[in-house]
Amino acid sequence: MELWHSHILRETIDQDSLLVQGNRACALGALDSGVRFFAGYPITPSSEIMETMARELPLVGGVFLQMEDEIASICACIGASLTGEVAMTATSGPGFSLMQEAIGYAAVAEAPLVVVDVMRMGPSTGRPTTPSQGDVMQARWGTHGDHPAIVLAASNVADMYRLTMAAVRFAQRFRTPVTLLADEVVGHMRESFAPELVGRYRLTSGDFDFTEGYLRPDMVREVHPPHTLGRKGHPHVTGLIHDDTGFPTNDPKKSEQFLLQLHDKVVHHRDELCLYDVKNEGKGRVCIVAYGSCARSARAALKLAKEEGLPVEVLHLYTLFPLPVEIIQAVARRCEFILIPELNLGQYAREVRKMAENWTTVISMGKIDGTLITPREILDRLEELIGKYESI
Amino acid sequence: MPATIDEYLHTEHFPHIWCPGCGLGTVTGSFLRAALELGLKKEETVVVGGIGCSSRAVGYLDFSTVHSIHGRALAFATGIKMAHPQFTVIVLTGDGDGAAIGGNHLIHACRRNIDITCILFNNRIYGMTGGQLSPQMGEGGMATTAPYGHEEPAFDLCRLTEAAGATYVARGTAYGPRELQRLIKGGITHKGFSFIEAVTQCPTEFGKRNAPKGAIAMLEDMKARAINAKKAAALPPEELVDRIITGVLHEETGRPEFAQNYTDMLTRVRNTE
Repeated sequence: MELWHSHILRETIDQDSLLVQGNRACALGALDSGVRFFAGYPITPSSEIMETMARELPLVGGVFLQMEDEIASICACIGASLTGEVAMTATSGPGFSLMQEAIGYAAVAEAPLVVVDVMRMGPSTGRPTTPSQGDVMQARWGTHGDHPAIVLAASNVADMYRLTMAAVRFAQRFRTPVTLLADEVVGHMRESFAPELVGRYRLTSGDFDFTEGYLRPDMVREVHPPHTLGRKGHPHVTGLIHDDTGFPTNDPKKSEQFLLQLHDKVVHHRDELCLYDVKNEGKGRVCIVAYGSCARSARAALKLAKEEGLPVEVLHLYTLFPLPVEIIQAVARRCEFILIPELNLGQYAREVRKMAENWTTVISMGKIDGTLITPREILDRLEELIGKYESI
Repeated sequence: MPATIDEYLHTEHFPHIWCPGCGLGTVTGSFLRAALELGLKKEETVVVGGIGCSSRAVGYLDFSTVHSIHGRALAFATGIKMAHPQFTVIVLTGDGDGAAIGGNHLIHACRRNIDITCILFNNRIYGMTGGQLSPQMGEGGMATTAPYGHEEPAFDLCRLTEAAGATYVARGTAYGPRELQRLIKGGITHKGFSFIEAVTQCPTEFGKRNAPKGAIAMLEDMKARAINAKKAAALPPEELVDRIITGVLHEETGRPEFAQNYTDMLTRVRNTE
């Protein structure tokens, strides 16, 4: 399989780099990681993902459907996924809300599925063309019941490409829905994009093997074999709590076992699932923990801080859930403050606080006016914090 | 090739959950006999149910079966059929599942004319949740959520699906399982969206609050009210009030089927590329 499977990239591969929009890069990552089924419903600011899929999928023999609503879109994807197809859908806040019940179904039926949520300001219709990170906790707990969640967050165009690939990989390997969060700015920004810029997390098509034998031996106990509905045997798939036969059970022991298995297959593989990057590691008294577009501001703030001689490090999280417990705790043990800039009222800061408050002070820097957090704003907060520390 | 319908059943999961006198088993039996006549393969026949009494049928069927989400069986089925057009895809749904919460998916599946056979078990009540009104209940019906009588009219689901674009529309009753078997068989062999309304009885929840009461009286009432479409065509409209018009009500060949159309588009696009 050629590296650049998609039409647009094939045409321009001779150039050193090209300008690609974040949403488009997401679609290209999906194509390059083997997604061959996409069903969606238009919504700002994610529509370019489905538009790209509409154009590209038929060229590689895939199926693209514009359904009657977001619920139908995700359900069609689950249907395709159950037959072994690699499926994805993309939406934004209101559509993501509509999809929640089906995300829970995919978790219980163990149907691999990628859901991309390009976040806009909410709640409700909110401000559709404005960035936000308001759906972080919805991505974790949006559907009812106890269930595992794998949630990734993209901060730039290259991320949109490589994290979509990672999302596909995780969904297939762990047989569960994976949510990729972006925000309006990441989805709509255009950046220089070339294979070398995709960087060390690049997951090429060669990394994927969707045949039945792809499970690593250590996964066999925790993850059921892939779905082959209509292809092999004649299985039963249900959203009811079920046992190993696939049929419903009301047995308390089996019910508990089933839910624990769902949970464990994700949480026990945190080391594999938690993608992150630390800048200026071990040299900070303050650590900025950031994800999505705020991570870009955090990285820029780090440069400014270095110029001013402030002891700062940055932990850039690409995986928000499962919680990167060990990674956060390592930072908490060595830093006096953790500062979390995010475009909500501290949704992820609360999670970090739970993990880190035994060792350090966690400070939330939330912003909900629809504008980005600038590097300068972060730097001001850093100066304030470090100044406060020194005056104690 | 199965010799009896038992081979299409997970009999190890019996007894089933349906109440004594319920018509859902009769309708499921008609479907299974149609499947037997057609010699449907267990692997490549995907039967999708939603949520509710009728959708529970998929849990007893030994095909590739999906017990999906309330109202969304047709959306799941659309994904399955489009991913694998060679599969025979059948949806079993109820009047609440298919006409209330899933109504939007029903009309859009009709519009696409996708080759799926949808059998809607219409017992005019929400049985599993304990007797709440359904959009098919009709004016005057009594339910736990219509304690003073229901004020809304019902859909004529056959006219609705025909208008929405279904190319095979039929109605049968639990009183006439042989006719129903024939209609379902016709639906499965038809290429395009097939809709079969199976009028059935719920003596437990509907019969408890509405006349006639009891399975036998309900079936006899069904028998008295049923009239074949050909006979009905000769009668004036006033004589058809409260009658159940059965048979193939609409059949259209030649209209493009969606999965086929899509496959043709793929060939066209890839050849010009």
